[in-house]
Amino acid sequence: MDPILELSGLSKVYPGGLKALDDVDLTIRKGEIFALLGPNGAGKTTLIGAVCGLVRPSSGTIRAFGHDMARDWRGARSRIGLVPQELSTDMFEPVHRAVSYSRGLFGLAPDKARIEEILRSLSLWDKRDERIMALSGGMKRRVLIAKALAHEPDLLFLDEPTAGVDVELRKGMWAIIDEMRSRGVTIILTTHYIEEAEMMADRVGIINRGRLLMVDEKDAMMARLGRTEAHITLAEPRSSLPPQIARFPVELEESGTSLRYRGGDGTGKGKTEVADLTKALIAAGIDYTGIDTRESSLEDIFVTFLGEEGGAA
Amino acid sequence: MISWRSTWSIYTRELMRFLRTAFQSVLAPVLTTSLYFIVFGAAIGGRMPDLGGVDYGAFIIPGLLMLTLLGETTSNSSFGIYMPRFTGTIYELLSAPVGVAETLIGFVGAAMTKSLILATIILLTARLFVDYSIAHPLLAVFYIMLVAAAFSLFGFILGIWADNFEKLGIIPMLFLTPLTFLGGTFYSIDMLPKPWDTIALANPIVYLVSGLRWTFYGSGDVDIWISFSITLGFLAICVGVIAYIFKTGWRLRA
Repeated sequence: MDPILELSGLSKVYPGGLKALDDVDLTIRKGEIFALLGPNGAGKTTLIGAVCGLVRPSSGTIRAFGHDMARDWRGARSRIGLVPQELSTDMFEPVHRAVSYSRGLFGLAPDKARIEEILRSLSLWDKRDERIMALSGGMKRRVLIAKALAHEPDLLFLDEPTAGVDVELRKGMWAIIDEMRSRGVTIILTTHYIEEAEMMADRVGIINRGRLLMVDEKDAMMARLGRTEAHITLAEPRSSLPPQIARFPVELEESGTSLRYRGGDGTGKGKTEVADLTKALIAAGIDYTGIDTRESSLEDIFVTFLGEEGGAA
Repeated sequence: MISWRSTWSIYTRELMRFLRTAFQSVLAPVLTTSLYFIVFGAAIGGRMPDLGGVDYGAFIIPGLLMLTLLGETTSNSSFGIYMPRFTGTIYELLSAPVGVAETLIGFVGAAMTKSLILATIILLTARLFVDYSIAHPLLAVFYIMLVAAAFSLFGFILGIWADNFEKLGIIPMLFLTPLTFLGGTFYSIDMLPKPWDTIALANPIVYLVSGLRWTFYGSGDVDIWISFSITLGFLAICVGVIAYIFKTGWRLRA
């Protein structure tokens, strides 16, 4: 697919010496949803700020839509939208005026029909004449999305779009993001909710201490790093396992009353192997009273990965 | 190339902000000017001699105009850029395809427009108290616009420099207002005893008040061209500082 954004050797050192971005290379493809995961202070917002013009990179290059952002920033910025993490907007303004302002600021002619379409798609049309300060937190976040969409961007940054919103609103926000994707908007989102990345993203990047540690297709990442875990409760405690059981990645736990399996690759191989294990247990005359299996989530992968990274550092 | 749509958006939004508090914005200068005319024009002015052939009540009009103009343009412009920084809404401006030209014309143009509206209101209010005529009306309008532009730029710098509300108010309160009062608003510096008449020339506001007074009555404390030159010089310095701010991103971009 065509690259829509290319970061090369991007670094940012703040006055005081904090290295927020450390030689980041990243290519974003047209039409994808890219989730940038990382703990607090990892460099996610700095990366977004560098692309959107809020942060001055210390070194490296940013190319968006073929434009070098250092030189031809106007052409590139006009196609980029940003929904910030904070609810930052003029709270005294009515909704429709705030959104219309954003469109004008990006140099586009007024278009009432387009503004109406955006407000309707975000369920804000009924609130169009209300001051933003009178809206709920979830509605305010939708206003920020409407403002970012007002100039019809091809690339949209969503910085923690569901931070602080309840489960229902979060799901509503996912539907909105899905709708934007279906309209061809490329989306880069940062999030603390790994579940969000798991649900939405095509590709995932893990960033920590300013370094981009891993970028991969979400499914490939799950396949490569995902695991199946099964706990089999044995009818009788055992002190050892026969060879036909020991060939599986298993170990006895809880004084021999439980058998733990950990294996597979996140593609379903683990489930098949657990089924084979249960057959082998019966064949070996080892009775069991319960089985509990679970697939590791992206969150497990993320936590394990950052843990290993922390250990290596 | 300048995006005039972007510029217009910034300009109209800033004016809307002004209109949200229009009642207060209009009433305050009308009331203040009326009080000045009642105190200095009627109560004290009646006992003052004509100054350079101009009735004292009429004499103080350019000074009062300058007093309001400097205060309002500086505060309008400084608040205009400080508030987005304070609330975080500046992200939108910084991420938009707008540069220094659009930003300055939008913010400074709006601050100038507000000041010109106020100047008109003050002149109309003054008419209720004293009879006056303007010797060089076009030059007066041009000079008011020049001063409004220079101090809007100054206010813009102040709004970027300030990192709290105290700093935002300290320059207008501690420097601008006292210097304006001491800058010949209510008197001609010829009336000061020596050496204060010479020391007063170190006050840059003297040249602004004198310049505007010249456009009204054809005479001032200093030559009109010196007034114009100083105003233009100040404007040029402000433009230079703002160009530097945008080039380096000082206090705007992290």
